[in-house]
Amino acid sequence: MPSSSPTSSSNTPREVAIALRGVTIGYDRPIVEGIDLDIYAGEIMFIGGGSGCGKTTLLSNMTALRKPFAGSITIAGTDVATADDEAIARVRRRFGVMYQLGALFGGKTLLENVRLPLEEFTDLSDRAMDDIARAKLGLVGLGAHAHKEPSEISGGMQKRAAIARALALDPPIIFLDEPSAGLDPVTSADLDALIVALNRMLGTTFVIISHELASIYAIGHRFAMLDGARKRLVALGTPTELRDSSPDPWVRNFLNRVPTAET
Amino acid sequence: MMASAAGASERGDSARPSGRSTATVRVEPASSGGGVRVSIEGDLIADSIGGARETLENALPAKSSGVGAIELDLTKCTELDASGVSLAVFLYRLAKSRGTEFRVVGADGDRKLLVDLALRGQDPVAPLPPIGLVRQVGSASINVAASVIDLVRFIGELSIVSMQVARNPRLLRVRDTIAGMSRHGTDAVPVVSLLGLLIGTIIAFQTFDPMAKYGAKLQVADVVAISIVRELGPLITAIILAGRSGSAFAAEIGTMKVTQELDALRTFGIDAVRFLVIPRILAVVLVTPLLSVYATLLGVAGGFLILGPEGFTLAQYLDEVRGALDIGDFLQGLAKAAVFALLVGAIGCLAGMRTGQGPGAVGLSTTRAVVAGIVAIVVADAVLGSFFYALGI
Repeated sequence: MPSSSPTSSSNTPREVAIALRGVTIGYDRPIVEGIDLDIYAGEIMFIGGGSGCGKTTLLSNMTALRKPFAGSITIAGTDVATADDEAIARVRRRFGVMYQLGALFGGKTLLENVRLPLEEFTDLSDRAMDDIARAKLGLVGLGAHAHKEPSEISGGMQKRAAIARALALDPPIIFLDEPSAGLDPVTSADLDALIVALNRMLGTTFVIISHELASIYAIGHRFAMLDGARKRLVALGTPTELRDSSPDPWVRNFLNRVPTAET
Repeated sequence: MMASAAGASERGDSARPSGRSTATVRVEPASSGGGVRVSIEGDLIADSIGGARETLENALPAKSSGVGAIELDLTKCTELDASGVSLAVFLYRLAKSRGTEFRVVGADGDRKLLVDLALRGQDPVAPLPPIGLVRQVGSASINVAASVIDLVRFIGELSIVSMQVARNPRLLRVRDTIAGMSRHGTDAVPVVSLLGLLIGTIIAFQTFDPMAKYGAKLQVADVVAISIVRELGPLITAIILAGRSGSAFAAEIGTMKVTQELDALRTFGIDAVRFLVIPRILAVVLVTPLLSVYATLLGVAGGFLILGPEGFTLAQYLDEVRGALDIGDFLQGLAKAAVFALLVGAIGCLAGMRTGQGPGAVGLSTTRAVVAGIVAIVVADAVLGSFFYALGI
């Protein structure tokens, strides 16, 4: 990929991969209102906040699984909030999603899991699809486990396999929902290293839903923070910047891991 | 050899903004060592990989041998993505299967990393030798023996826990048992009614003409009475039970196993057999004989639906039925129903408790509960039939 380093600042406006304008999300009633956020192509963006702040709801809105109450979410020129099914189907091929528990298809080998999107959306030969799936499993370090089923591998391996499946159609954007949930620190750090390597090698944009501070500091280019109590996006910037100089004490406390005692 | 490869048209709206991409693949003898050099010119990405791959496969017949090292030259490759790198995987595996070397040139920095990572763990694995017939038969026999031993062990466990519960009735989950009786008894009444009535009618209908030939029209009542009371009433009820309740037991307990609820019970020190299995089995053992009596009555009534219109009165029909049966036949049916219920309940619960991992496991347990349940019913019916015959009942 000819992209420059995602963190480098330049005067030319950066390409926006996902644009959120005035987005209000929720289930029965709004949880977070009026989110304005540009996610740039090639960046690793973390979206976080306390439990129940709407992180995962925002993810399902961005991946067009549900519609926001208001506002627009534009991916590749299509507003997924208002687009018809056909347009959404087209946009969906431009991103991959890794769900919290991997959501690999049980009873299918890892190779078959990664092959599935290729079978559905390309007319490549069988052997070509096999090798593409193998290459992607190799990239996530599972080349030697291609013929195992999800139940035969560990949780960390399942998440890596899910990333390989998300990569199947080489989407420019990958969404990850809580990648480090349930992983030990070492496995979690390995996963972070994998995300950085893929981001650098392939220029893939990563949107990561997480409140894992270690990962946010280690690999996050920017961090967007939602607050369920105030129902809005309360902070946006590089993680260290926000930690050290956010005007919002709650944001500083969150990023410094200071407990807030109820009074 | 040289060819230009355009991407598959279905990939038209691919992720890449570069539009239609092409990669030119050249295959030529290497400068030294008798090997092959594959060089790529252009974008080797998801859009172009299909065509590039085809060109390469045509140029490199997989079966050919005696070839030296395979070299992939990426010097003139402008773009490489995670699909494009699969070409390296293909060549690497080809080289390994031929026992030759594989090299990549013209890749450094992130591109070298991409290739190196993609090739990790890609050595072709020799397929496992096919399993011989003798070994297959042997392993299948061991499996069957193991599941029979498992069933016997489970019945043993069940007996011990039942004894404990009998000695100390407070250990019985009475509320669960009553709820189970309602769910597996009362709720089954409509389907048992329908099938019982129809079976009686069908038997009368099918035997009427042959019996009429011998002038034994009224004796159709005997056929209906004996077959329904001794065999079909309990059998039909038990088969419905296997389909409705055996499957439900396997699915309920199997799901609990998958979600670690059984482990949670065990860590509380609660015996899963006492807590989950005894109430379910007790419920079906208590209600199934009642359901069976009900199915039997409706089956006998079904017979009259054929004989009635043929000019026989209800009193004649009932007299004939009464004459054909004695109390032994009735008790035999009741005993069978209770035994069938015990088998179906135990098999369903056992299948649930032995559920494996993964999304298919609960489905498999449910299937096993129904199929094994019905097989057990029919086998037990045969055994009990000869047993009662030997006793002269």
